[in-house]
Formats: sequence, C-alpha cells, structure tokens
Amino acid sequence: MPETQAGVHVAGLRKTFFPGTVQEKTALNGVSFDLAPGEFAIVIGSNGAGKSTTLNAISGELPLDAGTVAIKGRDVTKQPAFKRAGVMSRVFQDPMLGTAASLTIEENLSISARRGATRSFRSGLKKADRDRFRAALEVLGLGLENRMQDQVSLLSGGQRQSLTLIMATINAPDLLLLDEHTAALDPRAAELVVNATLKTVGRQNITTLMITHNMEQAIAHGDRLLMMHEGQVILDLDRAEKAKLTSADLVSRFHDVVSDRMLLN
Amino acid sequence: MDILATYWNLIPVSLAQGAVYAFVALGVMIPFRLLNLPDLTAEGSFPLGAAVCAAMLAAGFGIAPAMLFAVLAGALAGVVTAVIHLTFKVTSLLAGIIVLTMLFSVNIRVMGKPNTALFSYETLFTAMLGSDGGSPLTQFALLAVLLALVCGTLYWFLHTELGLAMRAVGSNQLMGRAQGLSTSKYVIAGLAMAGCLAALGGATMAQYQSYADVNMGVGVLVIGLAGTILGEAILGRDKLLRQILAPIVGSLFYFQFVAMALSLGFKPSDLKLLTGLFVLCALGFPILRSRWRSRV
Repeated sequence: MPETQAGVHVAGLRKTFFPGTVQEKTALNGVSFDLAPGEFAIVIGSNGAGKSTTLNAISGELPLDAGTVAIKGRDVTKQPAFKRAGVMSRVFQDPMLGTAASLTIEENLSISARRGATRSFRSGLKKADRDRFRAALEVLGLGLENRMQDQVSLLSGGQRQSLTLIMATINAPDLLLLDEHTAALDPRAAELVVNATLKTVGRQNITTLMITHNMEQAIAHGDRLLMMHEGQVILDLDRAEKAKLTSADLVSRFHDVVSDRMLLN
Repeated sequence: MDILATYWNLIPVSLAQGAVYAFVALGVMIPFRLLNLPDLTAEGSFPLGAAVCAAMLAAGFGIAPAMLFAVLAGALAGVVTAVIHLTFKVTSLLAGIIVLTMLFSVNIRVMGKPNTALFSYETLFTAMLGSDGGSPLTQFALLAVLLALVCGTLYWFLHTELGLAMRAVGSNQLMGRAQGLSTSKYVIAGLAMAGCLAALGGATMAQYQSYADVNMGVGVLVIGLAGTILGEAILGRDKLLRQILAPIVGSLFYFQFVAMALSLGFKPSDLKLLTGLFVLCALGFPILRSRWRSRV
C-alpha cells in the first residue's frame, strides 16, 4: 500500500489497564486507521472512549499490549517516546505541559528546533536561530516575537499553548498530535489557538491527528472525522460525508452506531 | 565591643571558608534547582573528594591529578545515585542516602584509615601562596578565581544545546520527552555534575585544612542548601546568572553569620543546630506568611 508507506499506519492497538483486577478496563480494543500524507483527521468521542489513550500510544508515552504504529513505512512501535519525537510532535491539553516554564521563549524554541537531531556543546541560540524563531512567532500575531527573552512562566495559558504549537511545528513533523489542545483555554484564547493551528498545519501541509470535544470544530475543520467509542473507531467519515453533517446529525449518528452495536452484541 | 572585635578578626577566615563551601553549595543547587530532583549524595561525595585527593597527595601524586581524580570520583558517585533512582524507581532522596552510606566505607578504603593528615605535603594553597599556605585573604582570592572559572564554565554549558536540554528536562520531563530528549541521560549528567562540584569542594577543603576525615561530610548538604537559599533571597533566581551566583554569594554570607554566632559565644558544635533552624525558617517563612495573609 503506497499510501500507508508514505503516511501514518496505526493497526490493532490494544491496551487494558489493571489487567486481572476488579478495576480492569479495556481502553483500546483494536484501534486501526491510516492517514494519508497531509491529512488532517479529527477524533471525537465521549469520555473514556480511548481518544487520549490512542494519542499516548502513538506518541510512545503509554506502552501497548498489542498493535503497530508506523510512520512513513517505519515501524516505531518499539521506540521510546523521546525517540519517536524525531518524527512526531505533540501539543497537550494542559498548557503548562508543553513548555519548560523556567526557560525563556527563545530557549524553548531552541530545544524544539533540534527535536530529533543530535545535541552538542554548540551554543543553543545563534543569530540565525533567533531570526527564524522571530518569523515563526510573528505568524501568531500575539507579539511574542518581541518577548523572546521572557521566561515562559510569565505567559498566559493561551500564549503558552500557542508557543507549544509553534514548537511542535517549527520543524515540520511527519505527524502532529493535538490532544484537546484548546479545551483548557477561555473561548477567545481557544479561537486564537485554533486559527493558529489551521494556519500552521495548512501552510506546511502537516499530517495531523486532533482530538476535540467541540462538535462545531470537528465538523468545520479537517479532512476526515473519526469517532471513537469503547476503545474502537466506530465511524470514519471523509471530507465529503463530513461536509453534509450538522452537530445534531453527528449526535444521532453516534446513537445509531452505538445502539446497532449493542443489538449486535 | 568585644563581640565586634572578635567578629572583625573572623571575617577573612569566614570568607575563605565560605568560598570553599561555595563549591558544595553549587553542587547542591544543581539537583535541587536545575533538575528539580532533591539529592543528598553531596554528604558522601564531599568526603569522597577529600579522601581521594588526600590519599593521592599522600601517595606522592601531584596536586592537579589528585584533584582531577577527586572530581571524577564525585561524578561517579552522582552517576550511581542517578542510576539507582532511574533503574530501581527509588526516590532520588533515598537513592542518595543509600549511596552516601555506602561511600562512608568506600572513603575509609580509599584512605586506608578514617583520616589523612596533609601537613607535610604540598597542597594547592602551599603551592600557590607560599609554604605557609597563605593568609586567609589570599586564600580567599585564590578560591575566588577558581570559583569564577567554575561559574563561567557552568554558565557557558547551560547555554549550549546540551545545557539547554538539561534545564528543560529539569523544568518539565514530559516536555523533554516530547522534544526528543532522553530524560534519563540528562538526569545522570546533572547528578554527575553535582557530584563533581561536591567532590571539588571536598578536595579543596582537605587541602585548606590539611586534613581529610571520613566524617567531614556530616551536615554539608544543609550548609549548601542554606547557602543556596540565602543567596536566592539576596540575588533572586529569575535569571540563570543569578541562579548560578546565588549559592556562592549565599555561602559567603552564610559563613558571616556563622562568624557572628561564634563571636556571640556559641560553640562550633552548636552550628549544625543553628544552620538547621535557619534552613527551616527560610523554607517555612513563605508558607507562614501566606497563611498569615489569608487569615487577615
């Protein structure tokens, strides 16, 4: 499959938490999908459906019981998270998690600009780096390019999340993972970060997997919609199918699929 | 008046002592502040550095190789603590306690006895400042040059690609992994650096007092911590340069307080109690203050 070779291949992800105890919970029950290069897929689903677990499994943060993750034809399933970071980057739900608070904005960017490269005793910040970081921050329109020597701890949640987004895309990754990255922000900041996301992802044509709880967002953006339920992908809509949807449709589709499955089981 | 005169006479010695302990304070600051990983190994790596340096000087080695191997031994102690912490998932505090306990035996093995006198051997101070080992003020000047070299190197390293990465890992490990950093590697390197500095302090102390003793590490961590906290209160820690200078400035000031306490009639054996109380106050003050404010 040439398409799989070039993009992202996720197959048969399985994960059970606390196996063999009363708290046993199957979080992933055979999650499989492929993403074409440049595809922007949005993942929705109720709480506990396995969305974040899927992302954590793909990033290597969570060890799997079974399954395969391959990026551009290379199997990364056995690599630890920090090795996979060479080909994929992440933005977390909590704005505090994506940046190093005690470092300055430019120092954070310097760390991410060398993601996947070997680090050495060379200076972490050269003139060319600063120019490149300034240009990347200007895209946000938040004025962060004039505060590059400020400590990140001084920034608001929205600013930190925007910075994390720039850090995740400064070297175009083969896969960008966005885990409800606007959910913890106030509506205005959330809109800013969504717009920045669409702009950077679109401009660089980055293959993206984004989790959201916001139905409007899920319908309005992206090339593809994946709905998860009880550790499986239960609905997979392409751009054309998605275009015809409203939030109400989506909710009723969800109930249809879930009740069908209950009947079948 | 008597008290003031006593203190005045103690100033040069207390400056020199403060400068010796400034190395340890730097070595304590790295895990506590840059790595956010409290580590007690200094209590063992400080006498380890002293023991290795003293044993090598007594065996006829030169000053430079003796100090170099002391520093390398300290690095190794830091690596052992880090590896115990990372592989066996033991908290860094407990890993450090295990290592410093084991080092007590190691240090006696290194020297072949619980202590080594260096009065008849050439040391850093006799070599640089004359056969009498120099006056306290010239000793302080020599140590200040050494400290400036160490600080400059640390400041340079923390701005390299590797140094930035180490600080990032200390600030946020999840972010570090997401940016491709092997967090274990940087924790090991950081604790190794801390071990180097504590052992350098020990090697310097052994030569300063012409004497290495297996018990000389007792309380050294709290002294280093007191210096770091005091320096941060004076300089702040918002900029990296201030964070690096804080343990040094703090250590110098701390030994001024020690000198004052001694001139007030406290016994040297009271100092550990006073230091502990000082650190307790410094740690407790912000909490008590916020509690007090919320009540008002």
